[in-house]
Amino acid sequence: MNWPILTVLLLVPVAGALLLLALPGARPGAIRAILMAVTAVTLGLSCVLLVVFLAVPTSGTAKLSGTANGQALSQVHSPVTFQFQEQVNWLHSGASLSQVHPAFNEGNNAFNQAGPPPINFSYHVGVDGLSVWLIALAGLLFLVAAVVLSRKEERLRSFAVLMLLSEAGVIGVLTSLDLVLFYFFWEAALIPLYFLMIGWGDERRGRSALKFIIYTVAGSLFMLLAIIGVYFVTGAQTGVYTFDVPTLIAAQSFVQSTHATTFSLFGHSFPALNPQDWLFLAFALAFAIKVPLVPFHGWLPDAYASGKTPFLVFFTGIVSKLGAFGFIRYNLTLFPQASHLFQPLLMGLAVASILYGALAALAQSDIKRTVAYASISHLGFVVLGIFALNIDGLNGAIIQMVNHGLIIAALFICVGIFEARFGTRRLRDLGGLAKAMPVMAGIFLVVALAGLGMPLMNSFVGEFLILLGAFQVSPAWAVVASLGVILAAWYMLRLYQGLTQGPLRIPGGGDDSTPAAILGRLGRVDLSPVEIVALAPLVGLMILIGVYPGPIIRYSRYSADQYVRAADRSTGQDPVLSTASARIIRPDQAGGKSSR
Amino acid sequence: MTTLLSLPPWFPLHFVPASNLVGILPVLIVGGGSVLVLLADLAVPRRGNLVLPVISGVVVLGALGTAVGQWILNATNPVVFNGAFADDRFALFADFVVLLTALAVICLSPGYLRRRGMEEGEYYILLLASLTGMLVLSGATNLIVIFLGVELLSIPLYVLAGFARDEPLSQEAAMKYLLLGGFASGFLLYGMALIYGETGHTGLAAIHQQLLQGALSHSFDPMLLAGIALLSVGLLFKVSAAPFQWWTPDVYQGSPAIVTTFMSVATKVAAFAVFLRLFSATLAPYRSEWEVPIAVVAIISMVFGNLVAVAQTSVKRVLAYSGIAQAGYILIGVAVGSPDGTQAALYYLAAYAFMNTGAFAVLTILSQRGEDCDRYSQLAGLWRRQPLLAGLMALFMLSLAGFPMTVGFFGKFFLFSAAIHDGQLPLAIWGILTSAVSLFYYLRVILVMFTAVPDADSDTAPTLAGLSLEGTAVASSTAASVGIPAGVVVVLAGVGTVVLGIFPALIYTLLQGITVVHG
Repeated sequence: MNWPILTVLLLVPVAGALLLLALPGARPGAIRAILMAVTAVTLGLSCVLLVVFLAVPTSGTAKLSGTANGQALSQVHSPVTFQFQEQVNWLHSGASLSQVHPAFNEGNNAFNQAGPPPINFSYHVGVDGLSVWLIALAGLLFLVAAVVLSRKEERLRSFAVLMLLSEAGVIGVLTSLDLVLFYFFWEAALIPLYFLMIGWGDERRGRSALKFIIYTVAGSLFMLLAIIGVYFVTGAQTGVYTFDVPTLIAAQSFVQSTHATTFSLFGHSFPALNPQDWLFLAFALAFAIKVPLVPFHGWLPDAYASGKTPFLVFFTGIVSKLGAFGFIRYNLTLFPQASHLFQPLLMGLAVASILYGALAALAQSDIKRTVAYASISHLGFVVLGIFALNIDGLNGAIIQMVNHGLIIAALFICVGIFEARFGTRRLRDLGGLAKAMPVMAGIFLVVALAGLGMPLMNSFVGEFLILLGAFQVSPAWAVVASLGVILAAWYMLRLYQGLTQGPLRIPGGGDDSTPAAILGRLGRVDLSPVEIVALAPLVGLMILIGVYPGPIIRYSRYSADQYVRAADRSTGQDPVLSTASARIIRPDQAGGKSSR
Repeated sequence: MTTLLSLPPWFPLHFVPASNLVGILPVLIVGGGSVLVLLADLAVPRRGNLVLPVISGVVVLGALGTAVGQWILNATNPVVFNGAFADDRFALFADFVVLLTALAVICLSPGYLRRRGMEEGEYYILLLASLTGMLVLSGATNLIVIFLGVELLSIPLYVLAGFARDEPLSQEAAMKYLLLGGFASGFLLYGMALIYGETGHTGLAAIHQQLLQGALSHSFDPMLLAGIALLSVGLLFKVSAAPFQWWTPDVYQGSPAIVTTFMSVATKVAAFAVFLRLFSATLAPYRSEWEVPIAVVAIISMVFGNLVAVAQTSVKRVLAYSGIAQAGYILIGVAVGSPDGTQAALYYLAAYAFMNTGAFAVLTILSQRGEDCDRYSQLAGLWRRQPLLAGLMALFMLSLAGFPMTVGFFGKFFLFSAAIHDGQLPLAIWGILTSAVSLFYYLRVILVMFTAVPDADSDTAPTLAGLSLEGTAVASSTAASVGIPAGVVVVLAGVGTVVLGIFPALIYTLLQGITVVHG
């Protein structure tokens, strides 16, 4: 690909933000129009990317020529292939700082080792079958958020600018193929998010934002150490010192780590952790906080409860997916052995998240918090699927990431509408709203059914595959996790019924509480055309993926297969050169059976 | 070169080889400039004109140009005055940072001094004198010269700290700084005496040779170690590393904001320059002895600085404790001791100059008659009043916290990677943990600026001339009082923070050619 579509995709939101900054006198209507135009262009580009990606069969097939170094290495040995790659040198240093006296080196072993070359990293972007879906999802959700954003929002221009910068950050995280670049975007995206959190939302937003940032950055900083650690540890073992992700993924095929050393505790002997295992844990901590998995979820309910609806659409829809994306992209590929070692731990945390999130959602009286905890439960399924470490589980996880993005965004739009219309988030204060807003109730029903994993809705497909994958690893975990599906039906229907069914109830109902009188006072409260436009694509995709999941399953299965093979390299043999390559399911080949 | 450039016999210093004078040219220019300003101050009695700042700025620019010229022409000379001074790239890099900081301070000064009613010519004389000391320090390769540099740097600063003569806090700051600084000088001198007594030399190169023999013969030498320890204490005091930091919060808070700007950045850079030269070059043979103590000091500084900063209510004190913590981060680079570490420390010093100068510059711009901008309430709602200034302050806070897109990120990145490369993982982990803590207070500043409701009395604060984001008519009389130079300085610091945060190679490649020598 000669046309740098990924860089353009990254720069379009930034350019939009700069344009908005350059128009200080713009009216709210104009600001909103620019915002929608920019996000629509981004969505269009990401759809082009998706279509071209899916239409063109993978080009990164194994070439057996070349030396086992750098780019050549990644082409030969990487089980994961990336397309639309662009690479520009970012920091390339020549010779290292030269030393004092040659004579002195004799007495000092730190200096005269043939050490690694000085640090260098590059602007390297590319997509694979995992990120391309998430980029399209990001494009859609930011456009939906732009549609939802009211032109009466205070400090509209600042909101729009920050939103576009967030979009650029998210796209950067999803496209970067260099660990330094990845971390750069990962943390930089937090800055606009932080300002969005402190600037708009309920009165507790300052505290919520601080909590979110501290949780996230504390985890991320350990990941920063691990990124530096990967550079030196992989380099020491393979001689390849690089931050380049494809090269690092390929280099892991040559990393020999055996759990030869053990330590004993209480009379049992345990394998001591390799450096790779520690690095895995550091990455996992950052991603577990971002997802979040249960012991690290403290920031989530506050952050989700405090935020404004347009913010929550993309914050819950796509930003929370970045953690799951990180697990797949980095933990599975860079630390294959550690992924298997810690599989029980991560699956356990995932199941704990599913159950805890579901039970906590049941216990909430606040509708936004109910949805927030439901999100924890749903994302537990995603992580469960990832760490099933088989094709079914991973395939389900990839699909469920997209599904959850659609569902949670729609749920927060619905809940946000209830909050905005009636000024309360207490479930007890609201009821029977189907009478007042029939369209809303209909759409909310579809979203709630999707959220509880009803067959023929998108979530069913993903959760089914995830449970299928988990069952192959551990039937017990799968059975326990499926309790989460039952609980989901409970809390979702509790929310739906409480809000829409029963006697009409709104806060401050006044003396005359007959339904007709309340309806009369309320006037028209049903969905506005704009809100219908915002919800329509989300609901449409929910139904479409639920009814006809074939294409998305087939295409993401190819990617799932790549990542499973990357994670299966624990035996030390080269996956591409071994017989495993026979298992590659090319979309163009696999498509034959079911689509024609 | 020496023969070609020998001076004519009528020149007062004709017995000095010209290459030596070229080697200390930046020092000569700034030192001479200080005298020039002294004379000009006598000739220009009227207060409040711009003659002195302009002269000072031109002097600093001249020194900067000379240093840049020496760098570009590769006209460096590691042995000047028989090894008393080194005019190498290491010194020149430190000179760049110090001179740029001084230039920023001079641009900020006229407006600040006028608002605070402290327009005295002595200010610029003292500033340039202190700057001379810093330039001496960055190239010093002899214990005596190091001591000269430290004293030349410190004594004008003692006076400057008390420059707000009507304010008790300023007087207290000056007194504290003088007493504790004198004490630290004593330690420094005692350490030098012990080292001299043991090695018989004051030149760093000769000392290094002696140490090399001692280290190779593996003889334990308590007197030498005591000397190194005392020398370190003196220098750690100057960089305000814990547990030698007790003066820092009071002095930073009490001194006029503009002096704090200069003190917090330039002093630290100069002191760290000599620190790095001493430890990564001269004392390298004894690395196994000083590695752990320095690492411990680094950890104490990071932990103490960051934890105590959380509890502060004064913005200047927050930045003081933040400065202690930042000294801890830079000490990681010293403790690592490898070329990577030195490089990372130098990178961080440059980064620190941009972000910390910027942060203090915002405070000086916001300072009004009678008091400095020091309380959180004075920053409250700054976003509503002055979006650009608030945005820049937020940028500097994010940079100090180490977020990407800012220069602070790569500073920390290089330091941590040097530590990990050298096997000093605990240092990196402490750095990580304390960085997370630091978010509390850096983000609180942002939160206050962007969400809190402003004080009723703070509406009179001067605005950044003609630079309002909203494009409203801010070019009123109060706006003019800040002046264009101050605004340009803050904006340039912000631009530098972002540009260097995206293109770290701009500084990193400069550091490639640097060799640490000791004469």
